[in-house]
Amino acid sequence: MGNLLEHMGIERDRIHFSWISSAEATKFVDVVKEISNKVRALGPNTKLVKDYN
Amino acid sequence: MKFITIDKKNWAKGIEKSRETYRLFGPVKDKNGSFIRDLENDMLPDMSCNDSVLSAKSVLFPQTEKILFTTLDESQKDHHIMKRVPGDSAKRAVLGIRPYDAKAIQLVKLNFDTDDYRDPYWCDAYEATTFVGVGINKPGPFDFSTAAGTGPFSETGLDVLMADLDNAYLAKVLTDKGGAFMTSCGFDTAADEKESQALFDILRKEAEKNISSRIDTDKLKDKTVLELHEAPFWDDIAFSCINCGTCTFVCPTCWCFDIQDEAKQKSASRFRNWDTCMSPLFTKHATGHNPRDSKTQRVRQRFMHKLKYFLDKYDQGIMCVGCGRCVKSCPVNIDIREVCKIMNSYEKKE
Amino acid sequence: MDTCIQKIREIAFQLLDKKEVERVIGFSNGTIPMATSPITIASKQDTEKLVFNSTCGLNLANYIRQQKGKIAVIAKGCDSRNIVTHIIENQVKRDQIYIIGVPCKGMINKSKIKALFEDEILKFTEDGETLTVESSLKKEKLNKKDYLRDNCRLCQHRNPVIYDVLAGEPVEEQVLDTPYPDVEKIAALDADARWLHFQELTKNCIRCYACRNACPLCYCPTCFVDESGPQWVGKGQDKTDVNTFHFLRAFHCAGRCTDCGACAEACPMDINVRDFTRKLNKDAFDMFGWEAGLDQTKRPPLDAYSPDDPNDFIK
Repeated sequence: MGNLLEHMGIERDRIHFSWISSAEATKFVDVVKEISNKVRALGPNTKLVKDYN
Repeated sequence: MKFITIDKKNWAKGIEKSRETYRLFGPVKDKNGSFIRDLENDMLPDMSCNDSVLSAKSVLFPQTEKILFTTLDESQKDHHIMKRVPGDSAKRAVLGIRPYDAKAIQLVKLNFDTDDYRDPYWCDAYEATTFVGVGINKPGPFDFSTAAGTGPFSETGLDVLMADLDNAYLAKVLTDKGGAFMTSCGFDTAADEKESQALFDILRKEAEKNISSRIDTDKLKDKTVLELHEAPFWDDIAFSCINCGTCTFVCPTCWCFDIQDEAKQKSASRFRNWDTCMSPLFTKHATGHNPRDSKTQRVRQRFMHKLKYFLDKYDQGIMCVGCGRCVKSCPVNIDIREVCKIMNSYEKKE
Repeated sequence: MDTCIQKIREIAFQLLDKKEVERVIGFSNGTIPMATSPITIASKQDTEKLVFNSTCGLNLANYIRQQKGKIAVIAKGCDSRNIVTHIIENQVKRDQIYIIGVPCKGMINKSKIKALFEDEILKFTEDGETLTVESSLKKEKLNKKDYLRDNCRLCQHRNPVIYDVLAGEPVEEQVLDTPYPDVEKIAALDADARWLHFQELTKNCIRCYACRNACPLCYCPTCFVDESGPQWVGKGQDKTDVNTFHFLRAFHCAGRCTDCGACAEACPMDINVRDFTRKLNKDAFDMFGWEAGLDQTKRPPLDAYSPDDPNDFIK
């Protein structure tokens, strides 16, 4: 799915997959931090965003 | 002034001038054919292109149209009360509409504008619109309009009918609305009435002679609904159908729509979208029951509506103008002309 | 291919005559040039109605589900692969289907031919590799191989992979060095250009769902776009909703698509929806060495776990 979205022009760094056990609190924090940093670096997404007006 | 000659050299300038009063729609070439679109900025209608892939019905009845809106913010006094999207009563004109598409709009009007109910969105758009048609000098092989109660130079539903004479257009003004549009373009070269009408008659006859495709509908009226409904041929007709909505979406007379609500944060909107009787969802009840659950039932519905129910209900012919778009576009080549033939010639065996 | 129709008719006649099958599903002549229509026949007299030529671009595997009794179906290479997929996915039982395999030399790209003419095509005939196409303005003799559909040009499985009888001599399979040039071409663009490509691609979509309904893979009782509780995607012409439909539908075909081209064939707006599915086919091949519908005994890659599955996308 990530590959198809990337192929369509959605930046790869917006799509993340992870496997985190409920016992892995630190891993969860690390992954979320990494995701936020990567997405923040890309700026606001304009693709596949619905305009409701 | 009944007839006006328009030199093609002056066409673009006149059309530009009309923009002071009118928003314009007309055929535009795109990847796979032409489409009737909003002619933004200085776009000119492409009068030379073949028939549009979709009909002109979208000008009055867009595939998706926002009709109502409200706020979900409960601190507002009018929250959850639906209000109409401000209407657009600005004048508009459709240029180069085909005569059969104009006739189709008159058929659609039977549904949207009745004594009991008036669809404000469709009717307001209709009243604001001037239909400037162009006759079809060389009808294509799929055109069976003459057998469907219209024709390449039919005037029904048009405000102006133009004839393409290579270097000029000869325009026949049919209504006051049409006259006003011509004036707004500055087209004012009067043509001789008698001669012009004679020319129109010749062109019409020539064009009609070119139509090789036809359907017979003469016996449909005398058959009972049940007789046709229970006829044995429907499974065979429907077998190849994949139940896509192509035939209904390209059809100039298909008027069915579906209502959808969408909300984001505190604002909500209600839309209407074209719907299609080919989809199982079209008749699916909230209970889960679907009275038209099988493909055969849906295919039968489409043809019975077009060729029988409509005919019986309105007594204004069939709900088909013979444009041939569904014949051309159907992915599995289900041909309404063939279905009509089967229905019209069907005799119930005792 | 012209000769195989006699064979197809003979086989169909025998099958119906001996009551080995209840019905035969094939193609019949259309009412307009370059059109054929799927047909089911139950009587041996009707076998004369069967035709097979290079306009039979739809996939008949789409018509064999939920049929009662034993049926025979005419299958090109791609159709046969979709029959395999149906068997794997328990949509049909192998012993319920009698497969009349047809080695295929490709189907024609009808819109490419239409684009050569200013007016409507009035007559279309084919004789071996030559197509003769006529409108009221001109007559063209075309070389069929120049007007094949894109998926047929890139096809590496022209012979049926599963059949009970073949209606013709097997044809030579093409071997391609670059089986996915179209995907690579899009991939070479930058992200914004790729996005624009897909925006432009789906611009004229009217959401008639002909692509979905012509697809033998799309047999879900309720498609996600038709689901209303919850509603996954808006139903109007909003371009985000339109694109969501296309890419999610494609994704549901990942590892299952045989690139039969029925979706693009059926589209009334000539949208090459294969641009979505082809990327997934390429990925399935690159990552799992998988091409759909070749082996009845193997589950599709996204349907089965293997310790060798690539998993570097997960962190």
